[in-house]
Amino acid sequence: MIIPADPSPMRTPMGELSDAEGHLYDSVGRLAERGPFVEVLAEAATGLSAHYDGHTTTFQTPSRIRGAVFRAWTGTGWTEVSVSGLDAPSLRFAEGMIERVLSHRPAHDSPPGVSSTARLEKVTPTARPMRDMAEEEMGTLARDVFSWTTGVPDIHETQVQISWRQDERLYLNSAAARCLQGICRVRGAVLPVAMENGRVESDRFVHGGVGGREVLDALTPENARKAAESARDLLRAKAPPAGKLPVLLSPSLTGYFAHESFGHGAEADQFVRNRSYLQPMLGQVLAPEILTIVDNGAYPGAWSEIYCDDEGHPAQRTVLVDHGRFTGALHDRDTAAALGTLPTGNTRRSDFLSRAYVRMTNTYVEPGESSFDELVQEARNGVLLESGSAGIEDPQGGQIQIKARKGHLIENGKVTDLVSSMALSGRVLEFLTLIRGVSGKQDFALDTGACGKGRTDLLPNSAGGPYLLSSAVVGRA
Amino acid sequence: MSLSRPGDAVAFRVADHLAGKEPWEVFGERIRRYEIHLSGDKIEMTRGPITLEGYGIRVFRRRDGATGVGYQASNDFSPEGIATAEEDAERAARYALFPTAKLDLPTGRGATGGVVEVLDRGLWEYPMDTLESYVAALRAAFQGRKQFALSFGSVRATLSNTSISNSAGLRTGYGHTTVDLEVGVKAFGGPEGPAPGEYWLNDSERRSRPAELGVRVAEWCRYAEDVRRGKPPPTGEVSVVLPPPVLAGILPVVFGGRFTGSAQLRRVAPQPGMKLGAELATVYDDGRIPWAPMSSGVDDEGVPQRRRTLLDHGVVSELLFDTLHAGAFDARSTGSGFRAFSSGFRTWHRFMQPPTVSTSTIVLAPGEGGTDAELVEAAHEGIWIQQIGWSAPDPLTGAFGGEIRLGYRIRDGKLAESIRGGTVGGIALAAEGSPSLMTRLEAVGSRAAFSELVSSPPVLVRSLSVGGEQ
Repeated sequence: MIIPADPSPMRTPMGELSDAEGHLYDSVGRLAERGPFVEVLAEAATGLSAHYDGHTTTFQTPSRIRGAVFRAWTGTGWTEVSVSGLDAPSLRFAEGMIERVLSHRPAHDSPPGVSSTARLEKVTPTARPMRDMAEEEMGTLARDVFSWTTGVPDIHETQVQISWRQDERLYLNSAAARCLQGICRVRGAVLPVAMENGRVESDRFVHGGVGGREVLDALTPENARKAAESARDLLRAKAPPAGKLPVLLSPSLTGYFAHESFGHGAEADQFVRNRSYLQPMLGQVLAPEILTIVDNGAYPGAWSEIYCDDEGHPAQRTVLVDHGRFTGALHDRDTAAALGTLPTGNTRRSDFLSRAYVRMTNTYVEPGESSFDELVQEARNGVLLESGSAGIEDPQGGQIQIKARKGHLIENGKVTDLVSSMALSGRVLEFLTLIRGVSGKQDFALDTGACGKGRTDLLPNSAGGPYLLSSAVVGRA
Repeated sequence: MSLSRPGDAVAFRVADHLAGKEPWEVFGERIRRYEIHLSGDKIEMTRGPITLEGYGIRVFRRRDGATGVGYQASNDFSPEGIATAEEDAERAARYALFPTAKLDLPTGRGATGGVVEVLDRGLWEYPMDTLESYVAALRAAFQGRKQFALSFGSVRATLSNTSISNSAGLRTGYGHTTVDLEVGVKAFGGPEGPAPGEYWLNDSERRSRPAELGVRVAEWCRYAEDVRRGKPPPTGEVSVVLPPPVLAGILPVVFGGRFTGSAQLRRVAPQPGMKLGAELATVYDDGRIPWAPMSSGVDDEGVPQRRRTLLDHGVVSELLFDTLHAGAFDARSTGSGFRAFSSGFRTWHRFMQPPTVSTSTIVLAPGEGGTDAELVEAAHEGIWIQQIGWSAPDPLTGAFGGEIRLGYRIRDGKLAESIRGGTVGGIALAAEGSPSLMTRLEAVGSRAAFSELVSSPPVLVRSLSVGGEQ
């Protein structure tokens, strides 16, 4: 296929938030005269995604949707109104709705917690900005990646996805905070599908991060072919074992463990709701000394890097488990006030239409000192779980579920046969006590993904770590 | 329901401004949303109206025997904003390619699809009042239940005016409502015994039905107590009974992944006549069931929805098509062009996505397995799976499974102690002759119930893999 050249440059909505800033500033100023605290978050996005599978080619830019959410303290609680538009009439409408609420409930007391006073302006730094990569170049890369997989026998088809999205957010509040951030998330994915006698198997290579064109440098012939060969090999994979076994988690699965256990379990809104089994154990030693778990919104280049959260608090590194001791939780201003601590920069909204929650960013297990081979020998007989595909938390019950697309048996201290998809289940507190090793920084990796609060409010999240050895129930899934 | 002011419908307003060449399609939505969030049984936050008006323009440009398809969504209704969105769509179409030169967009005539009940009038007229009444009923249902409580919850009402217009003369639209409920119900028990247990559920309906909450809350409390007392199952291949809430987490994804024109284009769709299920497996896709979340008179391209037979006594019958995939296979659209299905229901900013071919409501036809008790008796020994953490089915391989959030041992033909923990899984839909959930159906109950995107009775499956602690 020949893609015609297009000389016209891509338009960008950069500056749209700056254009609206005067109106937003005026609205906040007027509302500040009616109540003790008001804030506004405005949002716009740009980007491009390409998809190629040998049959179809698709290009799509993010929706040209922009808008803002206003939140004000009424004296007894928060009220908020969202509008899909940054023009003066739309903002006046939202302002009027907030005014109406405040006039019925004259507020005197300040809201709980710490109001941000941060002043920050940052756009993702890169020498190779994605907006310089036009459709033609992106399409060529997608077809190249596709071609790297087609030489592998039994590969039936391959899906290639390349995308970038620059999310721009402007936060203003009546305490004089101003945070303008533009975060560019770039992602490349190769999904080969193998088929034989009606049996279908697939695997994938996915790499993403905050940055520019350099993120896509991971889309190499070697990585694409590895994914294709893995899909092909899965056609002959055995069924996984079932029962309680030593489990060696790959970096991807280790990330799921960190995210679903201490990530969700340490979101402090669950503490306030008395819904976290972990809350009474804050300060206690729950795991061997080799385990340290961190949430770090300031991790440079990670998929869920943010510069400030949606309450204007700068992103930070928060240690959740420090050498086995449960030491910290993730907070917004409300939960921090309720529990007598400070916000941790973890307040996030999916978009300007969605409410704010305490959310994770990049959550991971810090590297240990074991080697992969040592962990395999220590496991002796068990299963290596690889390529995480799904996980779900249980903040109240303290259970965990993680799914892997594939794995390998560990027999007599050696990695042996390939096995197909499986699920891991277990009680987190028991899993922690059974941890026998964490591999070193040479194995450390972060995934790209999305996380919901319950079933809704999806937003970009990342998790990872090195290899981790423990024991749990596994079974076919 | 017709639009209250048809001339003011989003898609029609945008279509009137389109200056570009044909063919094109505009999908528009005017959305209001209201939310009440609970922390414990206290109201944590009330939100709304959250308003969103937007549209998506899709253009189709024939090139080299194929079609370049471009799409752009926007909420800018100024003439300049509409022109910009149209230019964006044209630009994408210049680089995109879909393998068909044939495009049969629905026309205005006959495209209303008739009336399908999907609009709760009380909710439409008085959204926040209705929502507040619903939450009051929810909280009241917990009064007097000393060992149970709400741990959190949210109720979200979405009220949408959908409109569709295209260059073939189609102008249609309808209003629809959705109530999304998420709650965690906690069972405390006494000072002795197990720690608190929680039954966590998500549900989506077209209407607000507070009168039913008393019965439902009683059931949720029983489940929460059973979660609290549950123990992991033994390991092995066992007979399992799967009720509609579990099937709702599996069937839409696997049938949507394989029984569609897009799967056929990727050469992973089953061919009509193939035997993929047991004799008692008859499965429909039906987008006209009143009050079902995916029901409507027309699909998101304006093609009337209807009932399609996917499996007829275990044999593949027909596949689902939208207009583009229908063109690629010289078929007709089955009214299966939907937007934003992959991440959930199509209630919230659908206009941001172009349509793709998808299922609506999956109906597993009731069989002769009788009541729940009769199915349990037929299983004799096994497990009733009430809730899986997340089945996460793979749409291509058909693999599904996860942690057992709540189940019950079946001993000697009766439900026994509760199960919590361990895993269950298998292949939902496999190649002809291979074992799968659909081929191992041993009995299908006689009474169907709705659960989200599925209408089905419970089914007895002979042998699924269970991972436990023993």
